[in-house]
Amino acid sequence: MATNDGEAVVELTIPGKPEYVGVARLAILGVASRMRFSYDEVEDIRLAVGEACTTAIERATGGQTPSQDVRVRCLIDPTRLVVEVTDSAAASSPAEQPPVPESVLEERSLGGVLIRILMDDVQITQEPESRRHVVRMTKYVAGAAR
Amino acid sequence: MQLKVETRTPQEGVAVIGLEGEVDVYTSPRLKQEMVDLLNRGLVNLVVDLNDVKYLDSTGLGVLIGGLKRARERDGDLRLICDNMRILRIFEITGLTKIFDIDRSEADALAKLK
Repeated sequence: MATNDGEAVVELTIPGKPEYVGVARLAILGVASRMRFSYDEVEDIRLAVGEACTTAIERATGGQTPSQDVRVRCLIDPTRLVVEVTDSAAASSPAEQPPVPESVLEERSLGGVLIRILMDDVQITQEPESRRHVVRMTKYVAGAAR
Repeated sequence: MQLKVETRTPQEGVAVIGLEGEVDVYTSPRLKQEMVDLLNRGLVNLVVDLNDVKYLDSTGLGVLIGGLKRARERDGDLRLICDNMRILRIFEITGLTKIFDIDRSEADALAKLK
């Protein structure tokens, strides 16, 4: 999807199954490698996005519902990469959802620790209508004007 | 990329689990099962070789923590081999270097299990 000069959006939807997390990691590797990130930063982004997808999938399977999609949306601009990972809590009723999904990403969980350390900014929100959880992670390009 | 799990028993009571590939939410159940099987067979001293691991996430870390706990419950131990800076960094930033004994080579790990 083309946007303003230097900006782009890459979107990927994967089935909420463990075997597809690797596909999301490969895609994010491709996106981040095109940007001015170091090798280590690219690896950090890959791990953080992998963790967010894993969390989204575990939330879906933990809810006893069949596999649901996980959406990965990359917002690329010259100064930063923003990745939003959205689960599909919408398909299940609130009662079927695992309790307190935010706890999955709390700082005590290893996945949550990794995401917060590896990325520069992390926000977790819940869309009020759909009840989908969105993990929004930002990595800034070193030396780029923000 | 998948995960290859190969186990050897270079000395009595010790199993070295060699991993090659990616340890994530999809593949880590196989590592968990391998460790459980070995412990149930009485091999309570485990060495997990991470040198050929290209990717390790929190699911894999969780399985290794579980393996360490189960081994120690049986008066055994679990040591790691890792010479890969990228993978070592994951243990460092999560604070798990305080929990795991990590050696650079199999010879070091085996010597310390004696």
